[in-house]
Amino acid sequence: MGYVFDPAAVLSGQYLDWFLWGIATTIALTAAAWLVGMTTGIILTLVRMVPFRPCEWLVVGYVEYHRNVPLLVQIFLWYFGIPELLPDVLRDWINSHNSEFVLATIALGLANGAYVTEDLRSGIQSIPKTQYEAARSIGFNYMQAMGWVILPQAFRIVIPPLVNQTLLLFKNTSLAMAIGVGELTYRTREVDSYTFKTFEAFAVATIVYLGISFAIMAIGNIADRKLKLEIR
Amino acid sequence: MKLTHILTIGVALAAATTTARADQLADIKERGTLVCGTLGTAEPFSFQDPKTREIVGYDVDMCSKVADHLGVKLELKPMSVEARIPELMQGRVDILAANLGWTAERAQQIDYSHSYFVSQQKVVVTEESGITALEQLAGKKVSALKGSSSAQGVQREIPDAETVTYQDTSSAFLAVVQGKVDGFCASELILVKLRKQAEESSPLSIIEKSVFVEPWGLGIRKGETAFKTEVNKVLTDLDTSGEADGLFTKWFGPETVYEMKRDFKIGEIQG
Repeated sequence: MGYVFDPAAVLSGQYLDWFLWGIATTIALTAAAWLVGMTTGIILTLVRMVPFRPCEWLVVGYVEYHRNVPLLVQIFLWYFGIPELLPDVLRDWINSHNSEFVLATIALGLANGAYVTEDLRSGIQSIPKTQYEAARSIGFNYMQAMGWVILPQAFRIVIPPLVNQTLLLFKNTSLAMAIGVGELTYRTREVDSYTFKTFEAFAVATIVYLGISFAIMAIGNIADRKLKLEIR
Repeated sequence: MKLTHILTIGVALAAATTTARADQLADIKERGTLVCGTLGTAEPFSFQDPKTREIVGYDVDMCSKVADHLGVKLELKPMSVEARIPELMQGRVDILAANLGWTAERAQQIDYSHSYFVSQQKVVVTEESGITALEQLAGKKVSALKGSSSAQGVQREIPDAETVTYQDTSSAFLAVVQGKVDGFCASELILVKLRKQAEESSPLSIIEKSVFVEPWGLGIRKGETAFKTEVNKVLTDLDTSGEADGLFTKWFGPETVYEMKRDFKIGEIQG
């Protein structure tokens, strides 16, 4: 009994629609969670720079929680746990407004923020301290030294690691299927359980994931090249 | 070029794993164990006994009867709803006793034994939702298990409802209790049990009308005629000896929370 590889079987009619919805949802989820992640990452980095010890402890605690608790557990906590703590009105409102997608975005975004802030920190640390001292010695204050000298260089350095985190975030969106978000993996499995064309369904998903990953990498490369400082 | 190479190897591997194997009945006897795939999370069909920590239930008893008849040991393998058919097709289990409803699509992939249970697939809702008829679920969200016939049944019978699927019963059920979805579609028996468990904290009601009715069979790989004949013989014998009645009463009868009467006979599934 040979296996007939027949991708057309999973790429026609309603199955094609499911795939397309899945792809759209995956992209939307990645984009939304990325924004949440970047914002959180930047805010955390700023908090960490405040010269007050508890601020640093707060960020360290945040990062350690998100790095050491499995992402799936974090997603379940956001989906099944956190809304139960909210007042009824707010909870009902969330439940009637696509709660799966929103809560998955928050969970993925906040976890991503922890990695982003670590990358930003390492970028800032990689700028020699002497540059900061030099900036101060020619009369810049702390904010000016950071804003004009340190951060512009640090941001360029962290582009490659941030592209990396974006790729991870993109692939991690597949975990959202556990709470019923109809993203690509969810739809793939749905197509699979209808057609039993497991190999075809996952081949399609693999190609789409690869394609989008390559696109993210390409965008990252362009950004990296455009922003690179010319060495004179 | 590389991608096509990888694809070719993948296809070859997939082809290799689906090639016909030796007679399964002989394999099982030689091995001395019957590997039975079951859910393990679907009381009263297969679930962990809190005292012994063993997986027990109606489905498990069916498997153990088959194992007894063949004179081999029973080995249970818990699996998800979604993975059960692929697991069987890839030969990781010999037989499935996993709430496996008959559908035409599935019957093209695997063989079914005689039906050993007939399930009313219903929807449970919260009492405060005020939903009493299936029609009211139009435009609402209904949860089901990933890869289950209930998920497909809801899409077929209540096309205006949105289905949201989860990996296991507890997630799908929690979603109703927490109001994330409006209903949960599954076998009535599972719903009765869950409603009972949630009685005090969150009152639930089961919509009277079934979404659909489906016969359940044991799943067997295609082409294993000798094995299938043996399994069907076991099931038919259970029916004639009255043992099937006993098993039904043990798990679903008046002494249990379900208080059900048996209204079906074991027999071939009519597609």
